Amino acid sequence: MLVAKRWQQRLGVIGLRVRTRRWVAVALAAAALGAATACSTGDAVSGAKPTELRLAIGGEAEDGYDPTLGWGRYGNPLFQSTLLTRDADLKITNDLATGYSVSPDGLVWTVDIRSDATFSDGKPVTPGDVAYTFNTAATSGGLTDVTVLDQAVAVDEDTVELRLREPRSTFVNRLVSLGIVPEHAHGPGYARDPVGSGPFVLEQWDEGQQLIVRRNDDYYGGKPAFERVVFVFTDEDASLAAARSGQVDVAALPSALASTEMPGMTLHAIESVDNRGITFPYQPATGRTNADGEPIGDPVTSDVAVRRAINLAIDRQALVDGVLDGHGRPATGPVDGLPWYDPSTAVTGTDPDAAARLLDEAGWRDTDGDGVRERDGVRAEFTLLYLASDSLRQGLALAVADMLKPIGVAVTAKGESWEVIETRMHADAVLFGWGSHDPTEMYNLYHSGQAGIELYNPGYYGDPEVDAALDAGMAATDPAEATAHWKEAQRHFGPAADAAWAWLVNLDHTYFVDSCLDVGQEQVEPHGHGWPITWNITGWRWTC
Amino acid sequence: MLTEGVPAALRGFAGRLGRLVLLLVAVAVASFALMVNSPVDLVAAYVGADVASLGPEQRALIEERWGLNDPAHERFLAWLGNLVRGDFGFSATFNQPVLEVIGDKFLASLALMALAWLLSGVLGFGLGLLAGARQGRATDRVITWWAYTLASAPTFWVGLLLLYVFAVSLNWAPVCCAVPIGVPAADVTLLDRLHHLVLPAVTLSVVGIAPVVLHTRQAVIEALAGDHVAFARAQGERGFGLIRHRVVRNAAAPALLLQFSSLGELFGGSVLAEQVFSYPGLGAATTTAALNQDVPLLLGIALFTTVLVFTGNAIGDRVHAGVDPRAALADARRSR
Repeated sequence: MLVAKRWQQRLGVIGLRVRTRRWVAVALAAAALGAATACSTGDAVSGAKPTELRLAIGGEAEDGYDPTLGWGRYGNPLFQSTLLTRDADLKITNDLATGYSVSPDGLVWTVDIRSDATFSDGKPVTPGDVAYTFNTAATSGGLTDVTVLDQAVAVDEDTVELRLREPRSTFVNRLVSLGIVPEHAHGPGYARDPVGSGPFVLEQWDEGQQLIVRRNDDYYGGKPAFERVVFVFTDEDASLAAARSGQVDVAALPSALASTEMPGMTLHAIESVDNRGITFPYQPATGRTNADGEPIGDPVTSDVAVRRAINLAIDRQALVDGVLDGHGRPATGPVDGLPWYDPSTAVTGTDPDAAARLLDEAGWRDTDGDGVRERDGVRAEFTLLYLASDSLRQGLALAVADMLKPIGVAVTAKGESWEVIETRMHADAVLFGWGSHDPTEMYNLYHSGQAGIELYNPGYYGDPEVDAALDAGMAATDPAEATAHWKEAQRHFGPAADAAWAWLVNLDHTYFVDSCLDVGQEQVEPHGHGWPITWNITGWRWTC
Repeated sequence: MLTEGVPAALRGFAGRLGRLVLLLVAVAVASFALMVNSPVDLVAAYVGADVASLGPEQRALIEERWGLNDPAHERFLAWLGNLVRGDFGFSATFNQPVLEVIGDKFLASLALMALAWLLSGVLGFGLGLLAGARQGRATDRVITWWAYTLASAPTFWVGLLLLYVFAVSLNWAPVCCAVPIGVPAADVTLLDRLHHLVLPAVTLSVVGIAPVVLHTRQAVIEALAGDHVAFARAQGERGFGLIRHRVVRNAAAPALLLQFSSLGELFGGSVLAEQVFSYPGLGAATTTAALNQDVPLLLGIALFTTVLVFTGNAIGDRVHAGVDPRAALADARRSR
């Protein structure tokens, strides 16, 4: 009391008493208003549930929503629709197309277009729009690769011909991923004001914050159950906070955060082909360098016995349990779980004894008793590079080094930046992450023609039978035939044969989903960004 | 007197303008040289996770679209030529002209930076006055300790802390963004915007508050030890009146100078604060541009911030001279 009085006196002295009170009143009022707005947003969440969906799954396209520049390159472009699409098992089905055929020489793809599709501005989708989209994307220099296209031509009112420079079975993935844009409404401003024939239309895009989309009631396909969908572009911490406070219905979170309790939400760990694996320098070390002077080859990993032994000695389940907290699967190849995966090539279980026998037979013996084998004066040791900023890769690299020590192979795990890794990846083992719905990736990783190009085939792997199988897969005109060739290639480069890579794990993509939301059957998700979980968003439903 | 004064002021202005142009050229050359010599592959940075799905032909297309095949000095001169004509180039990251990107994003940052700037100025000055006036007492010690704590706390850490306490635990503030989730732009009220602005602004004000507090405190202590204060005391002046009439003006000069010259740090802080709160301003755009190696946008932002900081300093000088005539005299003497 006394203290308060003294303060009052002093405030009085400096003429602040009245003003202070007024300020307190203003501050209280402001706080009350703030609380009021907080309440009102809270009400909006529960009240709007049946018609509005809020997703915090990242993946903002900063450059906008123009498919010819790469929007929707992972499929399902939301605002636009594609000629073909993939179902839950990644089988190809029709979308805008009613059917397609490939000429025997593989150069001409003839696609029939449905006639009942309209753009969101009311104009019909014509073969001319399809041809325009493909021709534009082929030359736009964006993030979708349509360079194999020579020319797209509308031949009649419901048919378009896509003429290629060379046969390419994987071109079907462009039919799956390239959203069709209207020729009459496509220009410089299109990316921020997209017009398409997809299930949703853009209502508002607050860049860097959120994307609000509205149901397209003229969409020819299944009607989404939600009038509006809001994509919130928050980073991990904010997504976690938003999910916890009930502001979003679906939140994508890294597996490290997946163990947190989240009332009212269910954890969906979706299988993916988002893999991590080790590429080995395949060439012997002869002092050879590439055009940029970067060394090629390694005396240890160029021995097939070493590569096979490593593949046998790694306990992949232990990696999943220890490094991924159980949110993943052991990986045995680059395309696990995809339609062109050959399960017979998988390594089953872990067998360090067999690995040791393989090394013994190949002449790798620990003669000096230091725990590391050697052969002809060469110690069985190599460096394993990983991206230093990625703690998951670091964990995997260190665990692999530990697992190989007992079989007498010394691995030095070393974190580096991509810039450094790119100069050393032909002579050191590197931990990479890949995984795509497009077999082109497998082609790029294993074909000798891709050795040393970009990040493809960094170890300069080359095998004539693999090359032949991959080339045949590319040139195939029938999907089943292509798949047979893709599987054959795996049998040659797989862990029991050339063992060009040691694949470690496939991550699970972890999402927290409102327990009342049915998101249907999930696809095996690819590496990278985009919104793979939304592939079937038109079928999502509230269940309570 | 007057007729003499005008050309002098004009001359001063022209001189400043000349210096600004020189500074801009230097910043442009230096930034461009840094980016050209960066080991990061521009196309790889743009392509990101898509490396495996884009073939060499596509990369060649991208390089062609960006004009990367020309030698560096030609690219620089072409850019400079466009710049003189008012064309800042095209940002591939945002698929928009650079000026539009900067304009859009700066508008969002402006409210944030202005609020943080005012907060740190007013709070810092007030607390500095209080601490100086109560030198050595508990109030002073608490304020000084608090200022040192803030000075040594990284912005992003403060931001995360505030986010955790006020947004996650207490649920008082929104977790992200400048507008409420899922509300159409037309329905967003001023109150909504303020509600989303408070946490980032408080975080950002942390950058500038401590120096202002400490410098003001020092200036107050010095002024209080001055002869004119001793004289005023002898005449019976006490308490707030003494501070208001004899000290505030002396203490305001360094605070104002600091406040105006802190625009650079304010921008640096906004890069972090906006990142933490997913606030879509120029700071967040800078991070995105840097991660994607968006050279035209980064250069544009560098030039823009140069102008911002330069203007801040120039205004600071003028205001300083206005508050403290001795500074104007010193300036005049130096330029003679």
